[in-house]
Amino acid sequence: MTKRLLIIDDDPDFVSGIKSILDSAGYEVEVAHDPKEGLKALQTHQYDLLLLDIMMGRGAEGVMIARKLRKDPKLREMPVLIITGMRQQIAFLFPGEPIHPRFVEVDELVEKPIEPDLLLEKVSALIQAAEERRAVPS
Amino acid sequence: MDDRSRILIIDDEEVILDSCTQILDGSGHHVRTAPDGMTGLKLVEEYQPDLVFIDLKMPGLPGIEVLEEINESDPTIVTVVITGFATVGSAVEAMKKGAYDFLPKPFAPEEFRLITRRSLERRKLILETIALRREKELLREQFASIVSHELKAPLSAVQQNLFAFEFEMSKMLDDDKKDKFQRIKTRIDDMLKLINSWLRVISVDINKLRENFTEIPISVPVTKALENIEQLAARKNVEIVTSIGKTSGSINGDGVSLSEAFVNILGNAIKYSHDGSKVVVKVENGGDEVLVSIKDNGIGISPEDLPHVFEGFYRGRNSQSVAAGHGIGLAVSRQIVEAHDGSITVESELGTGTTFIIHLPKLITNQSSTD
Repeated sequence: MTKRLLIIDDDPDFVSGIKSILDSAGYEVEVAHDPKEGLKALQTHQYDLLLLDIMMGRGAEGVMIARKLRKDPKLREMPVLIITGMRQQIAFLFPGEPIHPRFVEVDELVEKPIEPDLLLEKVSALIQAAEERRAVPS
Repeated sequence: MDDRSRILIIDDEEVILDSCTQILDGSGHHVRTAPDGMTGLKLVEEYQPDLVFIDLKMPGLPGIEVLEEINESDPTIVTVVITGFATVGSAVEAMKKGAYDFLPKPFAPEEFRLITRRSLERRKLILETIALRREKELLREQFASIVSHELKAPLSAVQQNLFAFEFEMSKMLDDDKKDKFQRIKTRIDDMLKLINSWLRVISVDINKLRENFTEIPISVPVTKALENIEQLAARKNVEIVTSIGKTSGSINGDGVSLSEAFVNILGNAIKYSHDGSKVVVKVENGGDEVLVSIKDNGIGISPEDLPHVFEGFYRGRNSQSVAAGHGIGLAVSRQIVEAHDGSITVESELGTGTTFIIHLPKLITNQSSTD
């Protein structure tokens, strides 16, 4: 079955550069350029993975979305791949931890720009891990 | 508030107060007087003078103490002492305590006018310097956000689309075209790395690292850095020779940033090495220190540039030779190493090569507790 992905990122040019890679790998990709719009899409549709930008709008609105997801019993299962242009800063806030412990449990963080192979590898690994978790409920 | 300069004269002799006020009358300055130290200090607070004349010999609070208090509460206020016993000693002592100048009694009106003018110029310079410094800080902060949003984001979008373009075209690209893609990607990547270094220098409080220090074997960040620069070394045809002592020890620190510090220094060593030469990386046990040395046989750094290699890019740089290229990376490395209570030393000779030595305090584990 085709996997559905949602990208929330307010930079349309950047999004076009990852969307086309994901498109050609056979994913069904939807895009929200606005955090609010993205949250609405998450609440009304089902996705296998979320690609989330951190620095949007007035600040780190991506973090707000990640926090909301974690609180939502349905959405917290969905894997989140954080794509950020601010690794330098973020890495320093959480040194040695590529993954922000306070986001959703299954997230991973990559830096913009992201090489196609790495992007596809992370996306498929996160989706697979989520499926395995669902198959074996803890 | 009017922009006339405010002058306060503290002296117990009414004659002095009157004549000084008279001399300055018509000069366009605002003048207030105080007959003793305590009154004077109170007025300093209310009146916020630009310049204060203080008689050194007064009953009550001594002039030198008045001077000290003014200097402590607002060092930007210019102070001049009036001394009745024009001994060098008392004047020098006052200057040591922060007085800008001294005026020996008796003085001619012209002397008083001159010293007033010079002191007010001094005050103006002090205020301008402070304003400029503040402006510089502000610019630095704004620059960080401008760099990140206006430069980094578009460049990332360009690179991302290039990645996508190459990915989609991959089957149609011959070696020549692939090579062109590679060149573009490499140059954009270099620019992104440079921007990241700027951002690091400008906007990150490296001392926050301390909050997350853990015990790590020194070999871990070194090995990670070596992996990181492998490609660069291959591209530049530089051989990396390593010698990592098994007992080189552990440190208390942050592995990610330390390996970044090593990458910066290693990267420079490779960058300034000659084709086909070697870079030697050694990790040694130095008593209560762990020593990481990185030695190249490259072009070297001139003695004039050597003291400046760790200065960040925003410092004034008057020589634009080799040191210019070292710039930001080394500044960041030093900040990181210093956040670990370590230090970096450098030795270099033009035409022979450079050795950087990173000293880090070794973690002393007196109990080998494993539980």
